[in-house]
Amino acid sequence: MVLDPQFVWNGIVVGSIISVSALGLTLIFGILNFINIAYGDYMATGAYIAFAVNAQMGLPLVVAIAAGVGGMAAGAVLVDKVVFEHFRTSSPVTLLIVSIGVAFFIRNLIRAVWGPSGNFYDVPIEANPSLFGVRYSVEQVSIIIASLLLLAAVYVLLRRTRIGIAMRAASDDRTLTRIRGVDTERLVLYVWIAGGAIAGLGGIMLGLDAQIRPNMGFTTLIPIFAATILGGIGDPKGAVAGGFAIGILQEVSVVVIPSEYKFAVALAALIIGLLLRPDGLFGEATR
Amino acid sequence: MTLLSVDGLRKTFGGIVAVEDVSFDVDRKEIVGVIGPNGAGKSTTFRLLTGFHTPDAGRVEFAGEDVTDLSPDARARRGMIRTFQIAQELTGMPVMQNMLLAAQGHPGERALTSALGVGGTDAFEAEQRDRAEELLKLLELWELRDEYAGNLSGGQRKLLELGRSLMADPDLLLLDEPMAGVNPDLTDRLLERILDLRDQRDMTFLFVEHDIDAVMRISDTVVGMHNGAVLSMGSPAEVQSDDRMLEAYLGGEI
Amino acid sequence: MALLDLLLVVGIIAGVYSLLAIGMNIHWGDTGLLNFAHAAFFAVGAYTSAILTTPVLETGLLAERVVGFDLPVVAGIAAGTVLAAGLGFVIATTSVRLEGDYLAMVTLSSAELVRLVIHNEAWLTTGAQTLKNIPRPLESTVTTLPVSYDLFYFLLVWGLVAVTYLLFERMSSGPFGRVLHAIRENDDVALALGKDVSRFKLKSFAIGAGVAGLAGSLWAHYVYAISPVMFLPSLTFLIWTAVILGGAGSYAGAILGAVVIVVLRQVTRFIPGSVPFADQLPYIRLMFVGVVLVVVLYYRPEGLLGNAQRLQAGTSEGE
Repeated sequence: MVLDPQFVWNGIVVGSIISVSALGLTLIFGILNFINIAYGDYMATGAYIAFAVNAQMGLPLVVAIAAGVGGMAAGAVLVDKVVFEHFRTSSPVTLLIVSIGVAFFIRNLIRAVWGPSGNFYDVPIEANPSLFGVRYSVEQVSIIIASLLLLAAVYVLLRRTRIGIAMRAASDDRTLTRIRGVDTERLVLYVWIAGGAIAGLGGIMLGLDAQIRPNMGFTTLIPIFAATILGGIGDPKGAVAGGFAIGILQEVSVVVIPSEYKFAVALAALIIGLLLRPDGLFGEATR
Repeated sequence: MTLLSVDGLRKTFGGIVAVEDVSFDVDRKEIVGVIGPNGAGKSTTFRLLTGFHTPDAGRVEFAGEDVTDLSPDARARRGMIRTFQIAQELTGMPVMQNMLLAAQGHPGERALTSALGVGGTDAFEAEQRDRAEELLKLLELWELRDEYAGNLSGGQRKLLELGRSLMADPDLLLLDEPMAGVNPDLTDRLLERILDLRDQRDMTFLFVEHDIDAVMRISDTVVGMHNGAVLSMGSPAEVQSDDRMLEAYLGGEI
Repeated sequence: MALLDLLLVVGIIAGVYSLLAIGMNIHWGDTGLLNFAHAAFFAVGAYTSAILTTPVLETGLLAERVVGFDLPVVAGIAAGTVLAAGLGFVIATTSVRLEGDYLAMVTLSSAELVRLVIHNEAWLTTGAQTLKNIPRPLESTVTTLPVSYDLFYFLLVWGLVAVTYLLFERMSSGPFGRVLHAIRENDDVALALGKDVSRFKLKSFAIGAGVAGLAGSLWAHYVYAISPVMFLPSLTFLIWTAVILGGAGSYAGAILGAVVIVVLRQVTRFIPGSVPFADQLPYIRLMFVGVVLVVVLYYRPEGLLGNAQRLQAGTSEGE
């Protein structure tokens, strides 16, 4: 059995998308301590905003990406102010159910505005070049570069900036930070901005790689969540590693199992990740 | 005659030893109090005895049976019933339901018998209600039988928790700091109740307690722990006069 | 007459949803388990019933299915219920020990896997194609009677809702339900009192899944034709909304919530196509469902018929 390098390449592309998306989800979880089911729909919103700017208004893709990322960062803050802020003291389970309502609203808002069928970004269609027998597209290369840039940026944010360090501290222990006098509400605001922006970028990457659909984020939520769990929930490093692991395993798995079932890899990763809990890949999880 | 036999219990958490070589026996109808300063390993020992932790080494025997690897519920069904440090009554259930829940071997706890009310469910339920009534009256909670347990006062919750564990008709009752947060008047009544139960129902007690006075007043045997190990064991007077215990307390708590 | 027919259709859908909500209520309302796999139990009930009661299709270009049993409808419904319960049991064994929100994610993923299997194993399910010609129970007999088939089916469905309601209500208020409630409140206490918590959770999961399977069978035999897109996770979330709206823990509430959700979705069909945003109406309806869920959780967490006192008990610390 020879492993086709094409699968590995595809896995790296998918892994980039899952890693970026998992990073946003895990940041939000680390601070707010609940699983945001609407996260997938945040991704879709980012993708659609970029679609509107790019394909509908005819502006260049770079502008569209900026609009999608910025728009979703603002959108995440807006959703927090309208909905989640009122449930700050609720249990994680209640918040999860609340986020179902939010997800329903957003996904159907997208359907109402842009219709239920799939769309594509307005990017030049070129024959995919190939290198060492691996076919690749410009979009795929851009996805990988964008994800590496984002991961680097988030690393710097978490390690070098005051707010990032506060985020990490709060992720480890919320009450502790409160005692030390960190303004948690401010922290929450920054987390939504960061998490929303990352979700938006993840969604755009997903749309570039495949298609822009209203349920694109929701259907990707499971591998993203599996990556988050596998990496130890609330642990950014782990989420990224988990994302690449699942992306690559999922694509490579087609050697062994029918490609229709590559999703099962995410499910298996999810269950294994939960069994490994509370440590995750790097043993730094919050609970 | 030995009811509970604890032999060489050891438990570590992430390399830190919480309990080391803890051994003692509890005879039938005996009241054993476990004392020690904070961090002495009392709570860990308690959780090892009740099955909420599994030991790294050692053995727990109950009524001649090795229960070391049994789950908490399996131990409970064999007659080892525990209470919780902070009264863990089920807040969203009425007092009476809390009591009835503790009944052991209820035929109605199968889905179908419960739905159809067959298999002696109703008769057993009625019998348990009578027992619960008796106990609630004894604990002066009868008037509150339909109140949600979450609406009781702290002292009432403690009483309910005790009553609920008695509903299970245990051979050995393991009490986790039963006097914590209870006013002195109620403490006296609880202690009396424990003595009565021992005498009238042949019950055996093991309790972990901070309130040393309470322990000294009713215990037949006191186990003094320090740094995860048994430091001193014997009659209340013996343990009380053991200089090592005094040292442990003075060193541990300032 | 046309209106009455339409009401019967809405009523039948509401009955099927009520069964789904009853099943969900034993999970969430009684036991506190987050089940996000309800659509899968519904699907297993529907497909089991359909496969068992139809012959292998010999005509048609897309008839890839090679399995079919042509059994009586009753056998299909019974098997659909049992198999869904079995699936509930299997899913629960992997994950019932997990904390609430993790259980939610595992059940959601498992449900998607089930849908994937239905979608891809065409030899068994006709795959993405519609599985057609599912027989309706007693159809030839009913047509000789002076009642419409829909009225018959309406009565059948609601008769089953009534029986299920009574059984579940009794179960919930009896000793079995008492243990489930204790697990919902605090499973350590249940353990300490000798209750085999995992076993009770498994039972709760299987029983609720079974009722969802029953609902699926009834659905399949009513609509003639089923396809995988009927069993998306959004169905699970609709049922969640119904249970929360009606009041978690209350079986009457579950039924009421299901009826309200179905009526809410169906009533807009009466709005003429000429109003603004007519094309967007299906989506606006679902947006509204999302709003309802959030608003209920904020303003009335106990739902329409739930027990507010129970939720409030213990929220303020006793002295």
